[in-house]
Amino acid sequence: MIGRLWAIALNTFREAARIRVLYGILVLVVGANLLAIVLGEMSIHEQARVARDIGLAGISLFGALTAIFLGVFLLFSEVQRRTIYAIISKPIARAEFVVGKYLGMALVLSVLVALFAVAMALLLASQGVAVSAAVGKAVVLAWCEVLTVAAIAVFFSSFSSPFLSGIFALALFVIGRVTPDLRNAAAGADAPWIRTVARTTLEIVPDLHLFAVSGRAVDGEHVTVHGDFVSWGYVASAAGHGLLWIAALLVLSCVIFQRREFV
Amino acid sequence: MARPAPSDDAVIRATDLAKTYRTPFRRKKVEALRGVSFAVGKGEVFGFLGPNGAGKTTTIRLLMGLCSITAGSASILGQPVPSREARQRLGFLPEQPYFYDYLDVVELLDLGGRLFGIAAAERRRRGDRLIERVGLRHARGLALKKFSKGMMQRAGLAMALINDPDLVVLDEPMSGLDPVGRKEVRDLILELRDQGKTVFFSSHILSDVEQISDRVAIVVGGKIQDVGRPRELVGHAPLGTEVLLHLTAAGDVTAGAAAPADALAAATAAITARADKVRAERDELLAVLGPGADVDDFLAFARGHGGKVVSVTPRYETLEDLFLRRVEAARAPAAREAAS
Repeated sequence: MIGRLWAIALNTFREAARIRVLYGILVLVVGANLLAIVLGEMSIHEQARVARDIGLAGISLFGALTAIFLGVFLLFSEVQRRTIYAIISKPIARAEFVVGKYLGMALVLSVLVALFAVAMALLLASQGVAVSAAVGKAVVLAWCEVLTVAAIAVFFSSFSSPFLSGIFALALFVIGRVTPDLRNAAAGADAPWIRTVARTTLEIVPDLHLFAVSGRAVDGEHVTVHGDFVSWGYVASAAGHGLLWIAALLVLSCVIFQRREFV
Repeated sequence: MARPAPSDDAVIRATDLAKTYRTPFRRKKVEALRGVSFAVGKGEVFGFLGPNGAGKTTTIRLLMGLCSITAGSASILGQPVPSREARQRLGFLPEQPYFYDYLDVVELLDLGGRLFGIAAAERRRRGDRLIERVGLRHARGLALKKFSKGMMQRAGLAMALINDPDLVVLDEPMSGLDPVGRKEVRDLILELRDQGKTVFFSSHILSDVEQISDRVAIVVGGKIQDVGRPRELVGHAPLGTEVLLHLTAAGDVTAGAAAPADALAAATAAITARADKVRAERDELLAVLGPGADVDDFLAFARGHGGKVVSVTPRYETLEDLFLRRVEAARAPAAREAAS
């Protein structure tokens, strides 16, 4: 099974690595980091703060958008271009195919996040700004978020068109990022239906806010990547949350893909 | 009525296979297959023949587990469809294959080999041999997106054989190939048979099917119309006789024509009157006689009118005749229904 998963993952990695848009995104991230340095220079004594914030936001946002793009495009294109016929007629389970595709995407996204992080670190270093452990933790959290968003996109792509899958995945990414506001609505909204909708949404949407906590309160403590940040224990716990969502979404994707008809 | 071959060790067995699906928006029911039954024996080359839309590709997709069976059952290599164990021992070429265009043929075969769990050294060895066999040595490093349709077909054939399968299923393997390419695929299929492999292939190119198939099934309108050996299916009773004549300008003695051109025209007219059908071109005339015609009498008559016999060919029903008859018969009720 490992060999088959690796075969699909490696092939997906090769496919994604040849998508030129990804290189464009990499250039955009480097551009965002350069912009951060310019904006930092314009601020007074806040160069490091601005550079770190924009650099991390770039990793998170561009990483998530890339995850949606790859998740939506790579699975759909297999069906649309009928390359899948020659693959699933081999001794491979459809579930192995879906998981292999996801692992290939995860590999590409991991390389991209690593490249984004290296670009940010180099530019920060060029400005004399040290890369702290807090920045490292923030990058790991962003990486977990990107992998979770990719699983969301693969899930929608297993039964829907790329356009709709993209819209749904983007919507879930946005909603997942505002879970604190949803919790407030669930607890204190005047209208009962708003409380119900908020509560239901919190049940069915991954809590992506867990991965972007800088500048927010965690367990009553204000945390920031520029000062006191979350512990490695928190990072592991958030990663575990992401992993559970990834597993659940992939199981659902496999079940749906198993029933698909290739007529 | 078509019946599966009475074979207990059938490599492929389809029993009353049916497939119904619904159109995407109007949800209209479409019966793609309506009770297809046949069996393919070990070591056979089995041609699956039918016009476009007859259900050939649907049957193959059901057998390959690409879509679900609505009714009936199927087994491959003794395993009920879909079966991973059976897929381990079969090779499949889809219709109009399309592969990852960023790979080259070496990488494609490597991917195929990995999915079968073939060790790296063996993958390379088999890949090299197959690339050579399908004539793609010159395109080893070329991305598949630069391949012509025929080259893609060859790459697909190589991928279908990477696991040295016991059963090879080819959906329209000659499609898109030039005459040389078609001949090469026919040779490859016969070579596979000589190696003891079973080959099941679909096609609507009748001459190809007739030349290489041990047995054929004709499918029209989602139903099997005939299954059997091509020679047995078409029968032995002659449909008639074709006589090719060379008409000389010696003239038609009985008509007493004076000028050579007039004599030729008179001879043509006289012979034409005796034949069921004729096709004349310059001084040659092809006369078609019906099954009950007295050929000796006709030849004597033609010679008497200045005709020189070039050839006499008894005409038997061909697979094409049978095929067209089946297609017309299957379509007639629908045509009558539309007209009424």
